[in-house]
Amino acid sequence: MDEECVSLLPRVCDVLAASGSSLPDDTSLEKLLDWFSAVTKSGVSLLEVSPCLLGFISSVVSSRASESSIISFALKLIGLVAAAEDGFRALQETSVLDLAFDPQHWREEGLWEDPCIRIGWIHGFSTMLQHRQAFSFFVRADSIKPLLQLQTDTSLFVASAASQMLTQVLMFCHPLSSGFNETEVDNKSSSSSITGLKCPNATESDHESAAVVTEILEFLKRRMLPKEPSQLHQSQQILKLLASILSQAGPSLQNKLLLTVGESLEELVASNYSQLTRPLMDVILAGYSSVGGDVKVPDPILSRLLSVMLNQREPPDLIHAAAAFLCSGHDNRIHMEQSAGILLLPVDIITSLTLLEGNFTVKEHQLSMMEQLKNKTSCVSMICISLKYIPKITLMAPDCRPCPPASVVGAVLSLLRLCSGLSPPSVAGCVTVFRNVTGSGKVQKCALEALSALSSSPEVKVMLVEVFTLLIEYLNHPDSDPTVLQKSYQALLKWIGVCSNLSSITNQLKQDLTQVVRKRVCDMRWEVRDSTVEFLGHLAGLPACSTEDGGVCDISQYVLGGCCFTTPLLMEALHDPESYVRASAISALAQAMRNSWRQGAVPTKEQAEIVTQLLEILSQDTEGFARRAVLQFFITWFSSYPSCTSSPLLMQSVRSVLLQGCADLDWEVKVHTLDLAELLMDQAFLGQHGYTKGLESHPAQPHPYAVTAKQAYTLHTHSGTHTLSSDLDGLVKQGLLSVLLSGLFDCDRPVGLKACRLLIRLKDALLLRPQDTTDAGKTDPGLNCELLSQGWAHEIRNVLGMEDRTSGTDAHTVTINVCDLVKCLDLEERLDVLTRSSDHFYNSPRSLLQDILTAGSAHAQQDSQLKEEVIVDCY
Amino acid sequence: MPEIKVTPLGAGQDVGRSCILVSIGGKNIMLDCGMHMGYNDDRRFPDFSYVTQNGRLTDFLDCVIISHFHLDHCGALPYMSEMVGYDGPIYMTHPTKAICPILLEDFRKITVDKKGETNFFTSQMIKDCMKKVVPLNLHQTVQVDDELEIKAYYAGHVLGAAMVHIKVGSESVVYTGDYNMTPDRHLGAAWIDKCRPDILISESTYATTIRDSKRCRERDFLKKVHESIERGGKVLIPVFALGRAQELCILLETFWERMNLKAPIYFSTGLTEKANHYYKLFITWTNQKIRKTFVQRNMFEFKHIKAFDRSYADNPGPMVVFATPGMLHAGQSLQIFKKWAGNEKNMVIMPGYCVQGTIGHKILNGQRKLEMEGRATLDVKLQVEYMSFSAHADAKGIMQLIRMAEPRNMLLVHGEAAKMEFLKGKIEQEFSIDCYMPANGETVAVKTNPSVPVDMSVNLLKREMALGGPLPDPKRPRSMHGTLIMKESSLKLVSSEQALKELALNEHQLRFTCRVALQDPHSDSETLHRIYTHLKSLLKGYTIQHLPDGTVMVESIVIKVSSSAEDANAKILLLSWSYQDEDLGSFLSSVLKK
Repeated sequence: MDEECVSLLPRVCDVLAASGSSLPDDTSLEKLLDWFSAVTKSGVSLLEVSPCLLGFISSVVSSRASESSIISFALKLIGLVAAAEDGFRALQETSVLDLAFDPQHWREEGLWEDPCIRIGWIHGFSTMLQHRQAFSFFVRADSIKPLLQLQTDTSLFVASAASQMLTQVLMFCHPLSSGFNETEVDNKSSSSSITGLKCPNATESDHESAAVVTEILEFLKRRMLPKEPSQLHQSQQILKLLASILSQAGPSLQNKLLLTVGESLEELVASNYSQLTRPLMDVILAGYSSVGGDVKVPDPILSRLLSVMLNQREPPDLIHAAAAFLCSGHDNRIHMEQSAGILLLPVDIITSLTLLEGNFTVKEHQLSMMEQLKNKTSCVSMICISLKYIPKITLMAPDCRPCPPASVVGAVLSLLRLCSGLSPPSVAGCVTVFRNVTGSGKVQKCALEALSALSSSPEVKVMLVEVFTLLIEYLNHPDSDPTVLQKSYQALLKWIGVCSNLSSITNQLKQDLTQVVRKRVCDMRWEVRDSTVEFLGHLAGLPACSTEDGGVCDISQYVLGGCCFTTPLLMEALHDPESYVRASAISALAQAMRNSWRQGAVPTKEQAEIVTQLLEILSQDTEGFARRAVLQFFITWFSSYPSCTSSPLLMQSVRSVLLQGCADLDWEVKVHTLDLAELLMDQAFLGQHGYTKGLESHPAQPHPYAVTAKQAYTLHTHSGTHTLSSDLDGLVKQGLLSVLLSGLFDCDRPVGLKACRLLIRLKDALLLRPQDTTDAGKTDPGLNCELLSQGWAHEIRNVLGMEDRTSGTDAHTVTINVCDLVKCLDLEERLDVLTRSSDHFYNSPRSLLQDILTAGSAHAQQDSQLKEEVIVDCY
Repeated sequence: MPEIKVTPLGAGQDVGRSCILVSIGGKNIMLDCGMHMGYNDDRRFPDFSYVTQNGRLTDFLDCVIISHFHLDHCGALPYMSEMVGYDGPIYMTHPTKAICPILLEDFRKITVDKKGETNFFTSQMIKDCMKKVVPLNLHQTVQVDDELEIKAYYAGHVLGAAMVHIKVGSESVVYTGDYNMTPDRHLGAAWIDKCRPDILISESTYATTIRDSKRCRERDFLKKVHESIERGGKVLIPVFALGRAQELCILLETFWERMNLKAPIYFSTGLTEKANHYYKLFITWTNQKIRKTFVQRNMFEFKHIKAFDRSYADNPGPMVVFATPGMLHAGQSLQIFKKWAGNEKNMVIMPGYCVQGTIGHKILNGQRKLEMEGRATLDVKLQVEYMSFSAHADAKGIMQLIRMAEPRNMLLVHGEAAKMEFLKGKIEQEFSIDCYMPANGETVAVKTNPSVPVDMSVNLLKREMALGGPLPDPKRPRSMHGTLIMKESSLKLVSSEQALKELALNEHQLRFTCRVALQDPHSDSETLHRIYTHLKSLLKGYTIQHLPDGTVMVESIVIKVSSSAEDANAKILLLSWSYQDEDLGSFLSSVLKK
């Protein structure tokens, strides 16, 4: 805690204690607590550094005028202070603890009703419970009773916090290390459960623990069964708590727990409350998950409960239970098979495909399932859950799964056909059920996602043609909504991507696909056009596939006919009215052309035309997305092309890109421009003495921003006989220096930071170059640059103090040696400032304390002057 | 009894981030999905684990509805849909769908710019999220599924802001989002049908305030800008890319025109161009005056307002600059502020709220010395002004909306607890309806009494008419007897005969019987006669018959007498009645027992 903060704290405490109304910013108190927590975590005693906190706590807790938010804050602060034993003792001596954690006191004050007080009470207590003394205080104050009550509080937040604390209390009483033997447990708990535990009277504390455990377990047992449907919420809460305890409890506690509540659980499972299916499964699975160590087999109660859940519930509950079990990944063959069968049943019924032949246990549910499927809401919900987990079934061991994965794919395809009305319902099925899924966008989306996921299942590649056919039909469907189309494209990509051999795709299918893509790229809806363009880009980015003649071919080439089909469509999309589509088209073009770049092909006339259009977009497009994509295009080109300098078109356009990019309004475009500048530098200097690549010079911080390039670029550098000076001269002519210098003074920190790093590398390279290779010390005419009197150059002239020197003469342009310039800019200090975000002081504890103080005085002023109140409204 | 449940995850007794869960008729809807700009960690987003755990949001929620493009109403949307995972439909109006991604992108850039945060949604995520959005037209009923329908109404506040009427069966809820009941320079006033929802969920930012006319604030703003310009100062107005910026641009443009002022006005970001494009595109969403003048001159094509270049900040002489972001916490607005802060002739006007941890917050609280990078201190000498132009309904406006919609219950969100409490009292007093103000995480359950529409058979109606009843009148409800048949999700009230016919069932008569033991020395027939006489005197107006077969009948109730074989004085009375005469039967048995 820095000294200034310590000196500010007493005044801050006064402001907080005195503020009748809450602070103008509701986040201040939480941020203050964050800071106190961090201080405590670093091992510093809050009371020692800042004794004023004790007075603050006492005055807030005992004052009748305190705001509830301030009281809540004080309760949490008490918890933090009392988490250390000396802090606890200090608070106890002032008797503030008894008052603060007595719910009755807050009830009498009429404040317990306010959820923020209850939350403060729980958080305070929970933070405090780090040592035995605090626990004894908790027990003696009989706080377990209000805590148990809060577990079913009307506020979600309070109830959840109470649940967490109850688990914490149980774990405190029954640490993981305890074994089956109760005496042993007790001995251990008194010596090893909690850090720093020093109990003056071990037996007493054992009794305390035992009493608390019993009280909690009895509470669980008592409240678990709902006496009437209105109490279901309470049962749900109890089950949530139970699951949380079971997942953390050791074998001893788990055993005890199941012995106490086992019967109630069985009764609850038998009672068939649909709302309790998920929480019940969570409880059972939490019990299953904690099986380990010495205990190999789950408790027989758990096995029994699971069997009932997977056999004797209503179909929607069965589906939920099966999904939960399958998801948990437990290795229990019988239950796995059972779950898989249940999950396949709805699809089996709707598609009339025999997925579950011979599975009589599951078939028992067929009739009831059929009845449920007639209800639209439950039909859609069950099918969607079923579809979500179907891909998992195909990944089960072959002797476990109910049917071959290809049949599952076939069933999903049938379902998709039914949904979109592409095929008539089968005679064996039920009309009402068909009606329920026909046209359901929700089912279509789930089925398409399942189809995507199924692409990586074993033994399914034989279905490729069928999948391809259906997806093209979907893409062609006039009623498909944009999300369905997007998911169809995604599924298609997945299937194409995993099938290394696409020879089974007939020419007709390919033709159909090209037609539908041609149609969709002109769709009315931008969402559809964008998904189509994205599809083209992703397709072009897929690795090569093998063809029918055993050769290897570019997938996009094979499926769509390659660039001659794709490029014109994408060039058209460059003029799309929606910027998202334009940006996607530019990215897709880069993907489509990457291969030809890699091969070092000479740019065609078409490419020259694309470059012209892209430069136009960079200079004129009103949207950042498109302009950023242009930069990415050139970065990809530059990094893929084997010999950049041999392509005049590339080098020319790079110069224009740098010039325009550094003057852009969007800082991310500028950062990308600097990325391109970095590539130029790497290409020119790599191998030169003193020059390091970006990652080598800053290994700890490769790039802290979200705009990092998606792939690492490897550059093809030259190994010619150029000197650093001649290379730099070339770069200055390319406009690199202007880019770096203008970036350095940019108002957006990421731009300044990137530019500063690059300039440091440039400086290092210039200063560390061997003396004999250049005419060091002499003015090298190639190493000069000109500074205007405007914009960034003006800033540099200010920094260098050049205004005075040049005044009177030619003030408009100043020529300066690059070497001198980079030396004078004090780049290292600048880097230090830029690396630390502005947050390091605007969001620092000191700044927070100052803000609270000024807010306090502003508040007081407002009261006296009736100045316009700053009201939080919207942003 | 069915109930509607409302749980705010945000905006419950606060003005932070709006996110309200509504459960109605088995459907779960999320109203708004806002973020809190005051936090720098996950606390800025609502905690969706309270909705449902393990990424089951798509299974749980039927839809998400976004009321308008402000970040405290839509800022968490990409986080929810792309990072937590929600694949269901998201509804917002056309302008909101167009403008929302601009602001989300703007906010993403500021966040990443300022702190270099990487654990944040990306541009791609914003786009993917927007692809899930289904646009709404005003007053058009959209069927989310077979049972759930929504309808948007004009809310004023900002371009594209909407109130939504959510209906499942006969239960309904209206959510206002932020709204404004008085038209302003470019937007109209909120309006809604008399839809009588079960609950009206209303914002209450200005719950206790009667706002002065916006004209006054505008005049004040222009006066301040003018004075500063006149004395050769520079005026900085930090804004977010959209919304208030356009409003103030129109204001200054008109003023410059009228006063023939020459000082330049600049707008610092390229975003405006797109923003203005949308204001032009959605001209139908603006107010009547703008729509009318649009034919002669487009209000959003500014003659005096030019694009800003950073070198202009050093130009001598007066100027006005709109720069982003609005809280002076990064980027262009902060850079200009630093340049101009030292001159007392200059002025900064903050037209919106600033969260803690920003320079905007500091200077609004009166701090005059600011710490800067590299241990430097900045002396703030320029004039600092705060002007609220936010367009929220004040107390009067909220009451006006209640009168318009006539809700059965009222629920206040998006306001401070103390102010809500005051308004709650007023509402309950004036409208005699319950008013709730749940805190975040608290659930309000309102019992509804939905009317279930039932088809009535013509025969039953005819029979009722034949009995001389009045003609059916929707304003005068009355009870009718019949058999309710539920068939293929429709309900029908028919006569019992018709029900039997339709369902192909045989009629079964249900009769209740009862034995009453009594001591009577007379013969069985005499006892029966005595009973007959007694009942005749007791029950006036009932049909009572003494039948020759040795029974007495009171309506459908049959009474017989038999003696015990052992004791002739011990008589057993046998009573039997049909269910229609259940009351009378019970009454008779008790009379005879006495």
